[in-house]
Amino acid sequence: MNEKDSSKKVGRRRFLKAGGVLAAVGALGSIVALVTGSERSGKVRKRARWIRVVDRPTLGETTADYKRFSGRDMFALYVPLKTQHDGVGSFEAEQASKAKRLATLMAAKRPGFTLPDQILSEGAWTVMHSAKPGAGLLSWTRISPHPQGETAALRYVDSPEEMASTVKTAARLYGAGMVGIAPMNEAYFNLKVPEDGPPQKGAQPQEKSIVFEDIDVPEVTDIRFAIPKRMKWVVTIAIPMDLDLLTLAPTPLGDTASALGYSHSAFVVSSLAEFIRGLGYQAIPSVNDTAQSVPFAVDAGLGELGRLNKLVTPEFGPAVRLCKVFTDMPMAYDKPIDFGLVEFCRRCKKCAEACPSRALSFDNEPSFNTKGPWNNPGHKAWFEDSYKCFQFWQKSNSACGICLVSCPYTKGKEAWIHDGVKATASVAPAADGLFRILDGTFGYGKQHDPGQWWKYSSQQDKRG
Amino acid sequence: MASNDDVFTIVIRKRSWWFWALALLWLALEVVFLQTALASVREGEYRAAAMSWVAAAVLAAAGFIAWFRRGGTRWSGEPNAQSE
Repeated sequence: MNEKDSSKKVGRRRFLKAGGVLAAVGALGSIVALVTGSERSGKVRKRARWIRVVDRPTLGETTADYKRFSGRDMFALYVPLKTQHDGVGSFEAEQASKAKRLATLMAAKRPGFTLPDQILSEGAWTVMHSAKPGAGLLSWTRISPHPQGETAALRYVDSPEEMASTVKTAARLYGAGMVGIAPMNEAYFNLKVPEDGPPQKGAQPQEKSIVFEDIDVPEVTDIRFAIPKRMKWVVTIAIPMDLDLLTLAPTPLGDTASALGYSHSAFVVSSLAEFIRGLGYQAIPSVNDTAQSVPFAVDAGLGELGRLNKLVTPEFGPAVRLCKVFTDMPMAYDKPIDFGLVEFCRRCKKCAEACPSRALSFDNEPSFNTKGPWNNPGHKAWFEDSYKCFQFWQKSNSACGICLVSCPYTKGKEAWIHDGVKATASVAPAADGLFRILDGTFGYGKQHDPGQWWKYSSQQDKRG
Repeated sequence: MASNDDVFTIVIRKRSWWFWALALLWLALEVVFLQTALASVREGEYRAAAMSWVAAAVLAAAGFIAWFRRGGTRWSGEPNAQSE
């Protein structure tokens, strides 16, 4: 081989190597783009490509029995159900026993139950506790002074896509983790707004009806909440919960994650409703009141309905709090999504195994069989036993959240591998069983040490 | 590299495309496991971190052993020089 031939051969080899490296980098880049999907087109934020947009929700089958829900959730139902199960006075006895246990735990300074732990949660509830449907922060009409003169008649008008983009951008600024636009569906509304707090002894519950009327402006009176029929758009929002706190459940310190989620929700929807009103439209902010948030979130493509009978998002799992704003501002609707969750839930069952009260379903298939009056019949789901769940709250001296943490889709945003696993589960359900085993082997979903939280958090920069 | 007095022979072994593909896959997995280990420590997922460190170490060891033991003509598909 002469020098000329040798240099030619080395050149070709280098060329082939460089080509191989470039091809591999290109392939890896494609995988990264497939997984992250973080690119933006103009003002539209695109999601990862493994999150498929579909026409109908993956678990959205309904029957003629599907009607508006009473609005009486477990908080309203627990006292009569407890009395029915364990006799008159059992609820009061249970509360007295719980208070005594809590005092003992606080005196013993048990991690997660100390006085600062308990009060941290109370502080986090503050905004939510001052937000009542139709009043104050959650007012159904404009809070700021109405503009005078020429600006009073100004109205923001653009294409439905642009209007949706503007509202979503504002929602994200106010603190929304995810935003979607769903079409109005009156069947998702509660029949009534229950009275605030536990019912007075011997008094009739003070419930107000929720009605739809041909009016221009929402109305709140002593007997009813009236929603304009022209409100055809629902801005649905998910607020991610603080995972450092949620992984401390079930303790008062862990409950702070829920409290913060609710208070952030109240802030976001009230700010967004006021923003929409300022643009010349009507808007009704809502947290857990007035209507079911989950079906709107499913329709808006924020996530799918999972085994917990809660929304599971591809990005944050079920560790989100939901809220919404009803409006007459015309916007482009979003569509439901499919990221392989229902198939994953069929095989996984990790939440049902982790639930200390055995309140979640172990059935292989979702069904129409409800578990109690807290469930809204007429739609297919893995229904939960909320009574068992709520009883555990009393015994554990705090709210729970173990199911939210145990879900394999609930993961921090730091490790890249989680997005890869979710992407693979979305396109290759055959790997679901393996991922479920690995999730347990790697120790995800276990309670973290509540005693470390204050020390750990004092070293973190929480300014975002 | 072999030496004989003042004469040095440099052996350049040709490696096939799938060797480089495997090497890139190995490198990508190493990066993913190491990143998972570091991220898991930051997230307080200490068991996941430990498992990821172990996976990264085992993969690294396997990769280096394969590199040194199977490097050379056998990867290229050409006849082994020593056997000729």
